[in-house]
Amino acid sequence: MLRRFAISGLMLVLALPLMARTRPHYGGTLRVEIAGNPWQGPDGLARQLILDGLTALDAHGAVRPALAASWKSDDNGHRWQFRLRPGVQFQDGSPLTATAVVMSLNLACASNCPWTAVHAVGESVVFTADHPVPQLPTLLAGDAFLIALTRSADGQPPAALIGTGAFQFTSFNNNTLTLAANESCWQGRPFVDQIVITAYRAIRDQWLDLSLGRADVAEVPAEQLRQAQQQRLTVVRSAPVLLLALRLSDSGALSNSVLRAVIAHAVDRSALFNVIFQKQGEVTASLLPQSLTGYSFLFPADRDLNKANELRGGLSLPALTMAASGDGTMQLAAQRIALNLREAGIAVQPNSNPAHADLVLCRLPLQGADAAGVLANLLFSASQSAPAPGPDVQALFRTERNVLDASTIVPLLDLPRAYAVGDRVRDFALRADGTPDLAAASLEDAP
Amino acid sequence: MEIMRRMGLNCLIAALAGLLLRPCPAAAVPGPWDPPAANLAGQVADLLGPGQVRLTLRNLSSIPADQIPAIRKLLVQDLRARGITLAGAESANEVRITLSESARQRLWVAEVMEGSESRVAMVELSAAPVEAAKAPGTLLLRKQQVLVASEPVLAVLETSAALLALEPEQVVLYAHAADGWQEQQRATVDTQQVLARDPRGVLALDGNGGFEAWLPGAQCAGSIAAPAPPAEWTIQCRASDDPWPFVQPSAVGGAASIRAFYNASRNYFTGVLAPSIGADLPPFYSLIQLPRPLGAAAVLIGGVDGRVQLVENGVLRPVSGARDWGSEFAVLQSGCGSGAQVIVSASGDASSDSLGAYELSALEVVPASESLMIAGTVTALSTAPDGKSVLAVVRNAANDYEVDRVTAFCN
Repeated sequence: MLRRFAISGLMLVLALPLMARTRPHYGGTLRVEIAGNPWQGPDGLARQLILDGLTALDAHGAVRPALAASWKSDDNGHRWQFRLRPGVQFQDGSPLTATAVVMSLNLACASNCPWTAVHAVGESVVFTADHPVPQLPTLLAGDAFLIALTRSADGQPPAALIGTGAFQFTSFNNNTLTLAANESCWQGRPFVDQIVITAYRAIRDQWLDLSLGRADVAEVPAEQLRQAQQQRLTVVRSAPVLLLALRLSDSGALSNSVLRAVIAHAVDRSALFNVIFQKQGEVTASLLPQSLTGYSFLFPADRDLNKANELRGGLSLPALTMAASGDGTMQLAAQRIALNLREAGIAVQPNSNPAHADLVLCRLPLQGADAAGVLANLLFSASQSAPAPGPDVQALFRTERNVLDASTIVPLLDLPRAYAVGDRVRDFALRADGTPDLAAASLEDAP
Repeated sequence: MEIMRRMGLNCLIAALAGLLLRPCPAAAVPGPWDPPAANLAGQVADLLGPGQVRLTLRNLSSIPADQIPAIRKLLVQDLRARGITLAGAESANEVRITLSESARQRLWVAEVMEGSESRVAMVELSAAPVEAAKAPGTLLLRKQQVLVASEPVLAVLETSAALLALEPEQVVLYAHAADGWQEQQRATVDTQQVLARDPRGVLALDGNGGFEAWLPGAQCAGSIAAPAPPAEWTIQCRASDDPWPFVQPSAVGGAASIRAFYNASRNYFTGVLAPSIGADLPPFYSLIQLPRPLGAAAVLIGGVDGRVQLVENGVLRPVSGARDWGSEFAVLQSGCGSGAQVIVSASGDASSDSLGAYELSALEVVPASESLMIAGTVTALSTAPDGKSVLAVVRNAANDYEVDRVTAFCN
């Protein structure tokens, strides 16, 4: 027995030097496990696999054509025309038309859109806005504006999500979503035949499945990166692509900007960084990361309880409500912030509904290479707006400072995304938003 | 103006010190830190006006620490020239200068503190390019950009006066103009096939002065009537499942063309050749014909299983030393070493690829050059008709396609 092992081992060693790296193989099933909902943005993996946007961000965050082959702006950025890529089909075989795109965008954004109106003009989609929107191509690459078919050939809403992306919906049973390769994808057929996504799977179970060869891709939350490395998982992590921030209402109990400033000064980012997020990511008090602007250090991130108490003075403070959108770690972080605020004399009660909470702890996207575009996208995700900054870094800084001076967003940490990957997966890479680009991945042992 | 004045002062001081043994560098180019220092000092002066300040300087950038004193000196001189002099801790005004940077550029920031009021000035600087270290090898590979295209380029073919590029659904003719290759004509190919994520195609000379283009399920034949702009060509395309040509007739000593059957659904060649070369081949991604010392040609294949094998005299044998090889390779007749080398893409993951030259010695490939770094993924390699260069198609991070000519110099 031992001799057979020894001979097999020797043959393996002899065979290894002969092997070169090949082109990616086609075929096979990629097994992905996630803790959340595959449909829900901004982490909705299924949406990104099934749908495309008019534009997309490349690996470095630069805007690239996607369903729109080209675009131009007139009238000082008030009017944008996006010309559709010819010959693109939805996964049900129906053609991608400007009308279909407009219907999808109107459904995705009924109010507070970056544009005032969107129209189909021939093979183009035309956006008009009351104010200049220089970052519209970047905004349209976001998850919120992915294009889905809203009406099937029979005029009815489709039974499942249909787009133009690399994979199409097959089934969703017992928290298991199955997607099949879209053979007619305009970007080319993806390498794997099928992706099976197991949803709502605990991180510990994901890692166990990965180590037993029952899964190919598992999630690694930022706060568990060190643990994943200790377990010798193969981890792929992004640059900081998420801003952990506290969103403050500017009405009701928090209509007083001084009270909001008290909260901004009272939050202890270091505790969140050291304790909750296990020293992963970066402490920040700026909306945009230092790597994007170079001026992040101008916003002091240290807690200043004296300043908070000084500002609070004799203000009578009502009890506030706080919600945390996301997983258990976010709940823990929210509890920590509530403790911080209590030390500044502010009582906080939990609220499960972010729509009705005074404070919401959330993750905001930091995707893209153009700082102004990233800022516009971040503010849109936070349901806020600001005038488009000028082209230079000083104008960007002024815009950011004005937003932060209002204390309706309190930046806390810049966080990466990370995934653990099994041995059979090749060319696993992350997109600019840190989510996996599964259409580009292939399997080593594909038939 | 300020820089010139300072240089004049420096010269005067140097002359007075008796150091002016050679001509003063009055026309010398300012150092890299002079313009940003002058700019930032100007902005600070605009905010503060003449007076006394405390100055602090910190470096958060990749500028080496040994350059910081010189930068500080420049800033102090520039501030002084604008009426701002340094003071001690007793001054109510403070200027905090931070040498910072983002991933793209350097940024010098001045925080001007007047009492409790703080204002900010900034100067953007482009980051200095980093020179790649060069290491000697037996062969030195160089590349020169030929073309950049936003659409995927599957293959390129250079004729005596024109360049052809194959896109997933089009053949494009370029003619040489004063400012490089200019697009002249396009012909659409109706492939009727599923497009692969990494689509492939072949362009080859047909041996009769024309060219042929092959895409999954389609074939085109054409000839170039007038290569100079405005170039003219004839091209006809048809559906075809015929085998694809693999050796350009004039590339390797005028050897006869080998054709291989292509499996479009799996994006590889089945292993069936026409004509047969006397050995049963496994499915493969790449095939080249290599000149051998005794005049006979051998065939080198890169298999779907990752093995590189040599077919010589009808016998298929594995080649060792190819573990770092990618799937793309082409022959280069450099005249160095044995005269011909295999140019190979590396086995690294997508974002940063490289090319290397290898010599085939018996059944082992031996590196013949240092790696030539490529900013992107090499998606296709083909030998130029004269055999003396290789055309590499590279997909960069922005998903643009670049065609580079790779040549070798004997070291």
